[in-house]
Amino acid sequence: MTDEAEKIIETLARAAGLDLALAEFREDVMAAASQVQAQRRALGETRPTCEPWPPMRVVTGP
Amino acid sequence: MTAPHWSDAVDLADAYRAGTLSPVELVRDLLDRIAGLDPKINAFIRLDAEGALDAAHVAEREIHAGRVRGPLHGVPVGIKDIIDVAGMPTTCHSKILLDNVAGADADAVARLRRAGAIILGKLSTHEFALGGPSFDLPFPPARNPWNPAYHPGGSSSGSGAGLAAGFFPLALGTDTGGSVRNPASACGIVGVKPTYGLVSRRGVFPLAYTLDHVGAMSRTVADAAALLEAIMGRDPGDPASVRSPGRPPSADLARGVRGLRIGYVRHFHETDMPADAQVAVALNGVARDLTAEGATVETVVLPDLNAFSAVNRVILQSEAWAIHSDWLRTRPQDYGQSARRRLLAGAFLTAEDYIQAQRRRTQMIASVQQAFQDVDVLLCASAMDPPCRIDDDATVARTYPRQARTPFNVTGHPAVAMMAGLSDEGLPLSVQFVGRYFDEVTVLRAAAAWERIGGWQARRPPEP
Repeated sequence: MTDEAEKIIETLARAAGLDLALAEFREDVMAAASQVQAQRRALGETRPTCEPWPPMRVVTGP
Repeated sequence: MTAPHWSDAVDLADAYRAGTLSPVELVRDLLDRIAGLDPKINAFIRLDAEGALDAAHVAEREIHAGRVRGPLHGVPVGIKDIIDVAGMPTTCHSKILLDNVAGADADAVARLRRAGAIILGKLSTHEFALGGPSFDLPFPPARNPWNPAYHPGGSSSGSGAGLAAGFFPLALGTDTGGSVRNPASACGIVGVKPTYGLVSRRGVFPLAYTLDHVGAMSRTVADAAALLEAIMGRDPGDPASVRSPGRPPSADLARGVRGLRIGYVRHFHETDMPADAQVAVALNGVARDLTAEGATVETVVLPDLNAFSAVNRVILQSEAWAIHSDWLRTRPQDYGQSARRRLLAGAFLTAEDYIQAQRRRTQMIASVQQAFQDVDVLLCASAMDPPCRIDDDATVARTYPRQARTPFNVTGHPAVAMMAGLSDEGLPLSVQFVGRYFDEVTVLRAAAAWERIGGWQARRPPEP
């Protein structure tokens, strides 16, 4: 991880109120942030018309 | 004659009626076994020996008086420790909630009590039902009865390990990214994740609201069906809860697979996440044997397994962050490292990430629904690898995400994981069946057929 990336993560972590975690578990904070980039890339493409409404209630039966 | 601790739940009612076994005798046998073996397995966080014996005496009196409540009357059950049992702590296997005594039973537990089941105690999990086995928590991780040096899967690890060890015939687990089906796969038992909304989550500590399911775990398919039937049903206390529109889950257990159309999702384990060769051979064997029994097996293509996993993870970590953010800000030292790292990721996900994942989710649901236009059941991998040693951190970290269970948390379809063989090292291999929404009947029909054909569910681990 570059110094610049680490600084960005630190800024984001402080904005999220994670000062204590940064002070005591800096490696965990950095590892957590690193996971996110890979997950974002793996999400894949969506059609513009595809709505995000989650299936909070499944209504179709067998 | 079967030792009492290996009795199937659905056989107990007959044994009690015939007087060949009583609830008190069974509970005493189980408590002896747990006392002797659980120090090696760590399935229990808290054993309620006194409460279980009291409940067994009550059940015995009622049964003798002819007041039989149903098939689970006098049947012992273990409860994953993120599910509330009134008067007992729900610790979620975490220092954060060590003193969190439940004021009331979870809906599923209340239904079990009304059915006359006996609550034995609270079972190990991964911390907050997330991550893998950890050694930096207030309680040790559960171990695999097939070989205690190996991990039992998770997060419902105590449920899976305790069933395989003969500590109880039934257990409740929860499943947000595969946590009922993972220990089912690793411990060679049966794990059912029902359709989203079929079983209430009231009184269950949430991991991710739109992915969480309560599931049924047992050593046999018939027992899982009986347990599911007891715990399912509409509960106004869970906003996702629905009334089952279907038949009882056990309706078609004896029907066999003749005429059943099975879609084999080969790309999950052949190209998306290439499986260990032993797993691939076992899965092909299941497809071959079901074909020989009269099912039609055809290849089905769904979205890439890695995309399903990413969607599951982004939604899970976003929703979990909303639940844990205050504690992560003020008490990060009270989490184990595994859960802390996974939960902290939610701080770096954006609203855009969450919405994009939900948009992908709707497309994935449509794809799976489309597949069910042509087939009745899907057959696919559960775990891509046999269980590994619990102290091998690198292999645990590498193999833990290599699984095909998350797709059906993303879509909410019912799924069953069960045994499909044994690895070279003597650890269980697994298979997964998936069905249409609320068609637990057909999923369990396929599972019961495979249970009879394969014969693996009758295998027991060596005595530890």
